[in-house]
Amino acid sequence: MIIPMKRVTLVAHQHDEANILKALQATQSVQIVEANAEAPDETALAKAEEQVQKLSGALVTLRPFGPKRGLLTAQPEESVGTIAAKLPEALALSEKLESTARDLASVKSEMEQNETAVASLRPWEHFPADMRTYQSAKSVRYFTGLLAAADVEKLSAIDEYAEYQFFSEGVVRTCLIACPNEEAKSVTNFLKSLDWTDYSFPKMRGTPAQAIASLSAKNRTLADRKKELETALAEQASGSGRLVEDAYDAAVIERDRRYAATELALTSATFQLEGWVPEDKLEPVEQAVRSVTDAYCFSSRDPAEDEVPPSYVENSKFATPFEQVTNMYSRPDPHGIDATPYMAPFYVLLFGMMLSDTGYGIVLALACALLIRLKKPTGAMGGFARVLFWGGISTMVWGVLVGTFFGMDFDTVFGTNNVFPLIVDPMSEPIDMLILCFGLGVLHVLFGVALKMKLSFSRRDWQTAIFDNFSWILIVLGLIAYGASSAAASAPALLGKIGLAAAGCGALMILLFKGRAKKNPVLRTISGLGELYQVTSYLSDILSYARLFALGIATGVIASVFNDLCKMLMGSPILILKILGILVACVLLVALHAFNIAINTLGAFVHCARLQYVEFYGKFYETGGKAFRPLGYRTKHVRITDDSAS
Amino acid sequence: MDMGTIYAAIGAALAAVLAGIGSAVGVGMAGQANAGVVSEDPDRFGSCLLLQLLPGTQGIYGLLIAFVIAAKAGLLSGGASISATNGMSLLIAAIPIAFGGLLSAIAQGKVAVAGINMVAKKPEESGKAMLMTVMVETYAVLSLLISFLLVNGVKI
Repeated sequence: MIIPMKRVTLVAHQHDEANILKALQATQSVQIVEANAEAPDETALAKAEEQVQKLSGALVTLRPFGPKRGLLTAQPEESVGTIAAKLPEALALSEKLESTARDLASVKSEMEQNETAVASLRPWEHFPADMRTYQSAKSVRYFTGLLAAADVEKLSAIDEYAEYQFFSEGVVRTCLIACPNEEAKSVTNFLKSLDWTDYSFPKMRGTPAQAIASLSAKNRTLADRKKELETALAEQASGSGRLVEDAYDAAVIERDRRYAATELALTSATFQLEGWVPEDKLEPVEQAVRSVTDAYCFSSRDPAEDEVPPSYVENSKFATPFEQVTNMYSRPDPHGIDATPYMAPFYVLLFGMMLSDTGYGIVLALACALLIRLKKPTGAMGGFARVLFWGGISTMVWGVLVGTFFGMDFDTVFGTNNVFPLIVDPMSEPIDMLILCFGLGVLHVLFGVALKMKLSFSRRDWQTAIFDNFSWILIVLGLIAYGASSAAASAPALLGKIGLAAAGCGALMILLFKGRAKKNPVLRTISGLGELYQVTSYLSDILSYARLFALGIATGVIASVFNDLCKMLMGSPILILKILGILVACVLLVALHAFNIAINTLGAFVHCARLQYVEFYGKFYETGGKAFRPLGYRTKHVRITDDSAS
Repeated sequence: MDMGTIYAAIGAALAAVLAGIGSAVGVGMAGQANAGVVSEDPDRFGSCLLLQLLPGTQGIYGLLIAFVIAAKAGLLSGGASISATNGMSLLIAAIPIAFGGLLSAIAQGKVAVAGINMVAKKPEESGKAMLMTVMVETYAVLSLLISFLLVNGVKI
C-alpha cells in the first residue's frame, strides 16, 4: 500500500540544529530536501567524510586478521551511543595501523626491487671484474648485453675491429663487446641485425657476484623487518575488528547527519529544514523535535503539482518481503498503486508450481527458516530469504498435489495405492497439466486487467475502465467459453453462444470506443482495429504460463534420473561392491539433489518474477517512483537497536 | 550388435558430447573472465564462481539424457537389443538437448562473462548478473524436457 507523503517545513534555532538532526535521524522517517540556496559550509562534512575513509582503510588492513564471522551469525546489536563512543579509540588505532601498513608496503616494494635486480644480475655471475669499469671509457666503447646462442657464430663478422667475450652458457648468453669509439656505430648497427638485447649494469660497485651477495644480505635484513612489522600489525589488529567495524558505522551515521546539515537553509539565528515524511510518521517526527526544544515551527502540507514525492510503501507482514521482488523491477509511481500485496499470493502460488516437489520444498523452507532465525538478515537479503521461505511452503503443497517427493512418487514412498497425485500427474497427463497452467495464467492476467480497472475507477475515468479494460475481460473469457464448449462435446451449446456473444460485445466496444478521442468515425474504427490486434499479445501472455509446466516437470525429471543413477550404483550383486556403492550413492544423492534444488530454485525465482513483471505488471503497474531514503542509520556491521521509530 | 542399439548409442553419445562441449566452452570462457576479476579483487571470487558454474548445467542435462537413453536401450547391462525404429527414435530424441545444450551453454557463457565483468565494476549488482545468466538456462531446460519426453515415449 502506498503511504502518501507530506512535505514538511521545520524552522528552529541554530543552536538546536545538531540535536534536532540527531533526533530526526533516530526516527528514520524524514527525507531531507535541499533548501539551501547558497553554497554550504562543508568543512564539518569533509571532516566526517575523512573519518569514514580512514576507518574503511583500517577495515581493509584488518581484514586478513579478523576472525571469520560464520555464515549464519547474526549482526551484533548496538545502540548509537555505544558505537559512537568507540570512535576516538578506533581512529587512533586506524592511524597506527595505517602507518604500520605503509611501512610494511615500502619494505615489501624494496624487497621486490632487490629481487628483480638479483634476477637480472644472475646471468652475469661469472663476470670477473668491477661493473663500473665497463660502463664507459675514454677511447673504448663497451657493449654489454644478452645474445641468443644461435647468433654467437655470426659475431665473427666484427672480429676485425672488436673484441668480445661470453660469461654464461645456455640459450641466451651474456656478452661483453669492446671496440674503438669510432667503430661504435657500425657495431651498433650490426647488433641490430642479431638477436641482441642491451643490458646496463646497475649502479653498484664490485663484481656482479658481489652485488648479488650484498643485495641478498640486504633482503635478509628486510625480511626480518617485514616479519617484525607483520607481527606488530597482527598485534595491533588482534581483537580490534569489532571496534573498528562499530566505529565505521558510527562514522557513517555522523557523516550522513553532517551531509543533511549542509542541505538546511540558514539565517543568522535559525535554520529551515525541508523534507518528506510519510503521513503516518508525522506525529513521531514532531515528537522527536519536541523532545529537543519547544522553540520550533513545524508545518506540513500535501505535495504540490510540480513536486515529485518519493514513493514509500507499507505492507502486511506477509507481503513486505515481496517488496524486494517489486523493487527489482521498479518502485511504484507515488500516484499509482503498490502492486506488491496483489502480487505476493500469486508469486507464492506460481513459485511452488515451478518446483513442485515436497522434499525440495521442505529443504528450501527449512534452510530459509534457519537463515532468518540465526542470521537475522535485513534489507534485500532478508526479503529474499522470506520470499523463498514462502515459496518453499508452497512447493511442499504443490508436491503433494502432483505427487512427488525428492523425485519419487508419493505412492512409492508411502506404499499407498494410487492415492497420489491429488490433482494431476504431469508426466502421464501433460495436457491436463498444461490446461491447469493456462488456467492460472488467465486468472493472473485478468486479475491484472481488473486492477487496472480499479485504478481507472478510482481516478473517475470510467471510460478507460469499461472500454479499454473490461472489454478485454469479456473477450478473453468469452473466447475461452466458446473454445471450451466446441472442444468438449459434453458442454452445453448455450455456453458457447454466450461466450461468443460476450467476446463480440467486447470486440465491438473496443472497435467503437478505443479511439474515442478522435471525432472522425473512420479514424476511430481504424484505431479500434489496431487495438483489437492486441489479442495476440493476450494469447502470447497466456501461453507464456506453459513455463510453469516445463520448469515443474524438469525438476521432477532431473530428480528422478538422479535417483535412478544412484539406484544403479547400489545394485551390484557382489557384497563388498554393494556396500561401497551404497556409501557412494548416499553422498552422491545428497550432492546431486542439493544441486538440483539450487539450480531449480534459481530458475523458479527468475521465471516467477518474469511472469509478474511482464504478464502481470504489464497490465496495470505504473512505475517510476523514487525510493524513499530517509536520514537514518545505514550501517554495515551492526544493527542499531535504539531507533525510536519502530 | 544390431542397428537399433547402434542408433541408440549414437544418440546417447551425441547428447553427452555436444551438451558437454557447450558447457566446457561456456564454463571455460567464464573461468577466464573470473580469473581476471579475481586477480584484481580476490573478494569477488564467490559471486564470480557462481556465475561461472551456471553454463555448466547443460553438460549435466546432456549426461542425464545420455544416461536415460542408455538405460532404456539396454546399453548399460549389455543385454537386450532393440529394433531399428526404436533406436532411431532414441537418436532423434537426443537431438534437442544435444544442440539446445551446445548452443545455449555457449550463449550462457557469454552472458556469464558479461555478468562477471559487471560484478567487477558493481559488486552489489551480482544478483542481477545472475538473473540475466539464468534466463538463458530456460532454453536448455526446455530442450531437456522435450528430449526426456521423447525418450519416455519410446515403448520398447
